[in-house]
Amino acid sequence: MTAAAQIPAYRIERSTRASRLALVGFVVAVVALLSLPLWDGEDDLGSIVEICYMLALAQCWNLLAGYAGLVSVGQQAFVGIGGYALFAFTILLGVPPIPAVVLAGIAAAVLAFPTALIVFRLRGAYFAIGTWVVAEVFRGVMGQIRALGTGTGMSLPVAISRAVAESRAGREIVLYYTGLAIGIGTVLMVFFWLRSRQGLALTAIRDSETAAGSVGVNNERTKLAVYLIAALATGMIGALIYLEKLRISPDAAFDVIDWTADVIFIVVIGGIGSIEGPFLGALVFFGLRYLLADYGAWYMILLGATAVVIMLRAPRGLWGLLADRFDIQLFPVHRRVRLR
Amino acid sequence: MAPILRLEHVAKSFGALKVIDDLSLAVEAGEALGILGPNGAGKTTLFNLVTGDLRVDAGAIEFDGRDVTALPAHARCRLGIGRTYQIPHPFGAMSVFENVLAGAAFGAGRREAECYDRCIELLVLTDLTRKANQPAGSLTLLERKRLELARALATAPKLLLLDEIAGGLTDSECQALIETVQAVHASGVSIVWIEHIVHALIAVVGRLFVINFGQKLAEGDPRAVMNSPQVQEVYMGIEAE
Ligand SMILES: Nc1ncnc2c1ncn2[C@@H]1O[C@H](COP(=O)(O)OP(=O)(O)O)[C@@H](O)[C@H]1O
Ligand SMILES: [Mg+2]
Repeated sequence: MTAAAQIPAYRIERSTRASRLALVGFVVAVVALLSLPLWDGEDDLGSIVEICYMLALAQCWNLLAGYAGLVSVGQQAFVGIGGYALFAFTILLGVPPIPAVVLAGIAAAVLAFPTALIVFRLRGAYFAIGTWVVAEVFRGVMGQIRALGTGTGMSLPVAISRAVAESRAGREIVLYYTGLAIGIGTVLMVFFWLRSRQGLALTAIRDSETAAGSVGVNNERTKLAVYLIAALATGMIGALIYLEKLRISPDAAFDVIDWTADVIFIVVIGGIGSIEGPFLGALVFFGLRYLLADYGAWYMILLGATAVVIMLRAPRGLWGLLADRFDIQLFPVHRRVRLR
Repeated sequence: MAPILRLEHVAKSFGALKVIDDLSLAVEAGEALGILGPNGAGKTTLFNLVTGDLRVDAGAIEFDGRDVTALPAHARCRLGIGRTYQIPHPFGAMSVFENVLAGAAFGAGRREAECYDRCIELLVLTDLTRKANQPAGSLTLLERKRLELARALATAPKLLLLDEIAGGLTDSECQALIETVQAVHASGVSIVWIEHIVHALIAVVGRLFVINFGQKLAEGDPRAVMNSPQVQEVYMGIEAE
């Protein structure tokens, strides 16, 4: 090898004190959430499912925009496809609802592939606009399908919601655990991805696409993987959302505000390009919504103002501020060299 | 020996500006070639064409006996073309160690844990060990240039392209860099080095290639090239007085 340098004794560390504490916190939170129906009744389950799927959508969008540089404003395409696929699989093909949620995610990923072939030819703002246009095309197509209620949409037959569970309370619990599984599953997927060798590639792309290519990272393939996995998770989330709502229409299922704009708020406020950011962003998003529930339009105005201020004052979001000041990481995706 | 790199009638324009103009060039395996030329002559562009950061408008590029003209940058890197950027492109929010690790894991195509020893060795070689855990974005310009070198070496190149890595160094730093590049060369890596610091270049390379306006101005033995009338006139005009 070149220049036989003396190698000092060293050790590579992944976890930090903060991350070990965070792991304890994460486990406690998961146990608390899993046992919640036992001690808190059913009142809060719906809100927690909503937090779970917004967090999962935010983690997916962060992977896209924060790491792969794919600023999509068309993720509602995959929420909508997931929702409609759930209806199609259960009503037209007789698939049981929970397996249909998984199949809906796969359907979204399958449709994401030809979509990628088109939108990946576009760069920057054109990519963003392209994803939106594609979502509108999907909305238009879904509105034409007679078996799925055309433009006015349709309701899920009672027999199918009964297939989730006989009672209303039972359904809430099944949907709660499904939502929890998707939320926690998405966070773990993102974490293990970013921690892996492929995560090193993705983080390199985040920091410099040019340099990533020059050290042998296949940028296009990595980006495609992110796009397809994000579509898979987003499709499952869409299916879950419409299994809970019981009624779907093209306008609601492909809504850019509900399924993409709010998600962008969460990621931008919390901190783009980190796993921790979307958690913090979700906290702020749902906190503001809770505090301002009675003020209607003020909620949207304050949310927008918060996002603008944070974009101007802290381009890497609230988590960026904290991470810079205290040098912490809660999800140990980095490597530290300890010389001995 | 067969050439490790061969450019055949390569051309590149940016709009109306012809930056590389029907240029042909060969680098023998195991050779160290120096490239000289005034600012804006097209030297960095030449590297970008060889690495695949830019596509040629015309001509062909062959590396290690393969036509790589149509290959993307990552594929050329994996075949064995490593490069440093004149303007460093660190992975700014990743640690210095992780920057080098990315090179070793993807360029050299190895499992992560198998790369650790080599990465530490390269940090020692480039005197960045104490900065290993710092974000690369926090490094000074000179440290960033050393990181460029460490990261390029981590990809285990057969051909190493160095773009102005000696600028701004003190005499002793420059001497250390010369020895490092000599050691890399001695280990069997072919080298193409763009550099304005002529004495550093001549200490390492066996041949010089001078570019002006995207065309070959002179080529051959370093001393003969430096003393040739064209180079004296066009490039070193003032120093020749
Ligand atoms: N991406 C680019 N787009 C437009 N012009 C460029 C680009 N890259 C380089 N140039 C121009 O090409 C010429 C050669 O640049 P370069 O190859 O960097 O020269 P050198 O490295 O020899 O100083 C310069 O005039 C520069 O302004
Ligand atoms: Mg240059």
